[in-house]
Amino acid sequence: MQTAPLLPNTAPFQQEQIAALNRVISVSTAEQRAWLSGYLAGLQAANDPQAGTPAAPPAKRVPLTILFGTESGNAEALAGQARKVAAKLGFAPKVVDMADFSPAQAAATENLLIVASTWGEGDPPQRAVDFYEALMADDAPRFEKTRFAVLALGDRAYAQFCEIGRRIDERLAALGGARITDRIECDLDFETPANGWIDTTLERLNAEVGPKDVGASVIHVDFARPGADVPTRARPFEAEIVEAVRLSGSRSSSDTHHVAVSLEGSGIAYEPGDSLGVVPSNDPALVDAVLKAAGLGGDATLRGALTEQLDITTLTARQMEDFARETKTQALPADWATGRQIIDLLETAPGALTAEQLTALLRPLPPRYYSIASSRKAVGEEAHLLVAALRYTSHGRARAGVASVDITERHRAGETLKVFLRPNPHFRLPADHERPIIMVGPGTGLAPFRGFLQEREATGAGGRNWLVFGHRNYTHDFLYQLELQDWLKEGVLTRLDVAFSRDQPEKRYVQNTLWEARRDLFAWLREGAALYVCGDANAMAKDVHAMLLRILADQGRQDEAAAKAELDAIRRDGRYLRDVY
Amino acid sequence: MDIDRPLSANERIKADSRLLRGTIAEGLTHTETGALADDDTQLTKFHGFYQQDDRDLRAERGKQRMEKAFSFMVRMRIPAGIVTPAQWLAIETLALERANGTIRLTTRETVQFHGILKGNLQSLMQGLNDVGLDTIAACGDVNRNVIATVAPWRRDLHAVIGGLARDISAHLLPKTRAWHEIWLGEEKVAGGVVEDEPILGRTYLPRKFKIAIALPPHNDVDVFAHDLGFIAIVQRGRIVGYNVVVGGGMGMTHGEPETYPRTGDVIGFCQAKDAVDVAEKVVTMQRDYGDRSNRKHARLKYTIDAMGLERFVSLVNERLAVKLEPAKTYKFTSTGDPLGWAQEDDGTAHFTLFVENGRVRGRMLTGLHAIAELGLGRLVMTANQNLVLADIPPARRADVEALLAAHGLDRPVSGLRRSAMACVALPTCGLALAESERYLPDLVTRLEDEIERFGLREDEITIRMTGCPNGCARPYVSEIGLVGRTPGVYNLYLGGAHEGTRLNKLHRRDVDGDTIVAVLTPLFEAYARERTCGERFGDFVIRSGVVKETTAGLNFHENLAADLEN
Repeated sequence: MQTAPLLPNTAPFQQEQIAALNRVISVSTAEQRAWLSGYLAGLQAANDPQAGTPAAPPAKRVPLTILFGTESGNAEALAGQARKVAAKLGFAPKVVDMADFSPAQAAATENLLIVASTWGEGDPPQRAVDFYEALMADDAPRFEKTRFAVLALGDRAYAQFCEIGRRIDERLAALGGARITDRIECDLDFETPANGWIDTTLERLNAEVGPKDVGASVIHVDFARPGADVPTRARPFEAEIVEAVRLSGSRSSSDTHHVAVSLEGSGIAYEPGDSLGVVPSNDPALVDAVLKAAGLGGDATLRGALTEQLDITTLTARQMEDFARETKTQALPADWATGRQIIDLLETAPGALTAEQLTALLRPLPPRYYSIASSRKAVGEEAHLLVAALRYTSHGRARAGVASVDITERHRAGETLKVFLRPNPHFRLPADHERPIIMVGPGTGLAPFRGFLQEREATGAGGRNWLVFGHRNYTHDFLYQLELQDWLKEGVLTRLDVAFSRDQPEKRYVQNTLWEARRDLFAWLREGAALYVCGDANAMAKDVHAMLLRILADQGRQDEAAAKAELDAIRRDGRYLRDVY
Repeated sequence: MDIDRPLSANERIKADSRLLRGTIAEGLTHTETGALADDDTQLTKFHGFYQQDDRDLRAERGKQRMEKAFSFMVRMRIPAGIVTPAQWLAIETLALERANGTIRLTTRETVQFHGILKGNLQSLMQGLNDVGLDTIAACGDVNRNVIATVAPWRRDLHAVIGGLARDISAHLLPKTRAWHEIWLGEEKVAGGVVEDEPILGRTYLPRKFKIAIALPPHNDVDVFAHDLGFIAIVQRGRIVGYNVVVGGGMGMTHGEPETYPRTGDVIGFCQAKDAVDVAEKVVTMQRDYGDRSNRKHARLKYTIDAMGLERFVSLVNERLAVKLEPAKTYKFTSTGDPLGWAQEDDGTAHFTLFVENGRVRGRMLTGLHAIAELGLGRLVMTANQNLVLADIPPARRADVEALLAAHGLDRPVSGLRRSAMACVALPTCGLALAESERYLPDLVTRLEDEIERFGLREDEITIRMTGCPNGCARPYVSEIGLVGRTPGVYNLYLGGAHEGTRLNKLHRRDVDGDTIVAVLTPLFEAYARERTCGERFGDFVIRSGVVKETTAGLNFHENLAADLEN
């Protein structure tokens, strides 16, 4: 059970009062705390109107720059969280995207909080590449006047865990910056540690540079975040599956499903472009295998934890170290983890762990996010998901994607999925309904664009819509083909280009299609079109990015640098948007 | 022709097509669909291909929110079925890269590719063009591939009929540049140039037109089953001319007795030099007199029966520069291919490879690849869907033998199996009512078991199956014909002549595999016991009263057993 936050010793009460309050708070629920804080605030406002208004900002609020580099939106969400906390502490916070900031600007700040995610194999988020490279360059500015702290986001399943945050942290220190607190490195279950770190760091910074005359009326009230009614990762909504259909043909090499869930009564109000988080369960057969490998019988509690709460597939270098220590075996080299899972590790020293050691070894089971493939204006209180079941074999063992196979194989229409919303404010249709859009979405990357097209059809938006879709085989993998044909016929879809990689001897991908269409693509972009890319981050999004640069150079008759500047400008203009994973 | 009846829909499509262009080129740019516009799917036949869809997948497609699994069958034009090893290798590469990985040899001495996606059509056509091959007029209302008896071991004579096949094919080819424009990207014909079709006409022929050239005593091409046939007459070792056969054709429709298969009539003899002119004039007769209202009544066989053979011949003679002479005598003895090696006096050898139902895949594909890579001689496709490796020099025969053995291509097959022929049918052919290529091999296996008991393993009895009554495998001139009615159900025909000169007769209607075996087994037993010396199965069933003899197309549906009368 999660313990409630307790009052710090620095709270403006006597020690025994703090202890007494903590006794109450420690057993309170989030709702009770929210009620109490609201009650007290309301009481105060009623009795003393002056005190109810926010404390007048200190004469001189301390500026704080919160700089984020994001790919999936998590770093940006945390930056926003930090801004709220900072504002309450009396700072004058400003949130900036690395995409729009230079190291020189950063070096000019006095207080700098950085939230940096690491992508793929130790890469910075695509939009943060320029900032990162300039910071690492020999001519980077000095940071002697800057106090800083770095919150690093990553995924322990990758060898270069939190690499970018670590390197930025070290670089800033090397350039003369002063650390406010030590860097924190967060895994997929980042919420609790990240929020704790934000609180601690800002409080420490506040203690060092903040206004000295903080009045008692400035109360840091930590309401349950976010609002109690909206489903969250911790309290997902049980959404009924109203339709589940395999879209891939029976001879397809992929296994992609259309899954429609009902959000009725959930309070989830998504916009096209948003993602739905799904809290999966592990495969019961894999749970059995893990228990067997661990040499444990597995009572209901342990089995439940392994099924519902713990990640029993990912294998990280840290887990291999922990395992070696616990079992007093030789540590395996870090690259042994490639293509392997926890069960492979357990089998190297079978039956060596207690139940406690096993659960301590495992990470919390993270949710998986699916771009919503519908618009509420078209489907009402439903959300449609496009889920490709992942199955592969590595090191002689069949492996399966946790959520994708859970959703498509172990759930049927009429059953429920645990879902919550993850807004994606950086991946929205243009506010201007007349603006043309180009959507590049191979495979399940098609999902948000189906939502976009539904939305634009429902709103009667006049802007032209161009979709570039790709997959393996035309005959078996043309997802939503009949719907796309209808949209073309009705004029909702202005243009459709496709690339199927396995229908001819030469591999054909969406970027090849873009090149063939370069004249029109360039014209659309020059006419103000917004370009969206959704799908695979590692290969597709990079290849498409490189192709866009090539097309801008070729069609704009400009050199590489000028093409890059143009694409940057398009991005800053909010017309080059990505949702990649 | 009754001029008051409206023209068939296809006539309008052809007339409006700007000489076979239609909107095919535009249709290729519509990537959202694997299909072409409906009218264009009629025109593409003239370019050598049919739009089809995988019928095995029809049921699941709607649920998957995808259209039918469209693909195309592309048929080549290969006069006399002759290709070089380099051309064979190109065909193989295209089959692997652009089609479904198999090569289908057809009953008309050509190659079909199956499962081609719309986006691969241009690459396929260009790949063929690169090695001097094309698909022009391989299907459609035109003269299709011209076939000739495959007998390279009769080197000089085979060269002459092969040459005639090429000459006729070239002479009757559509003159429009539509194929080159659409598939090769050739410059469009400039506005000032008036294209015309002096022989075929701007609306082409009323229906398909097939020509075969036979070299007696082999009737492997089934010369009586085509609209126009030439029977080579050999005197003193050279071909002096040809007997002309008109009005053969297989197609009919179940339940419509006014449609029927017909064996052609020998109407005279022409000198070798006049054969191309004869072909042209018979084609123009069909162009001018064929029925353009009812496509089921549009083949030359109906044109002839409608006007009477005598009148038809006199009108042909009016058009000919040199009139036909009386027919010469000839004799056919077989329709099958002699399998295995044949050798000429100088040691040059030819190997006839049995290709079950003409489907080249797997080990056979790799074996033929290895043999073609030797670069020896030519490959000749037969009208029985087999393949001859021709002109192997004496010094290289051992190399070919070794490769045949290494790929298991030299195994013996029973007389029944090597005389069996099936059309493609399911899952791709849009006309199929029942299985054919995927089913006949199993049925033959069951019949082989019975035949062995009666000592008939080496007897060649022609057995042909088609998935519908249109007759691509020429079932109505076989000794045992099986024509699909619905899945698993066939009409059984008996009594065709082994040498392809006589139609068969309906013996049982709507029978399944078990019944076919049960009906044929006692007939095989009786045949083994009671046949006279050299008597063929098709003749035996008539002599023993199992079925009545069919003497002409017009009585194909008559003289049925009492229980079969409609």
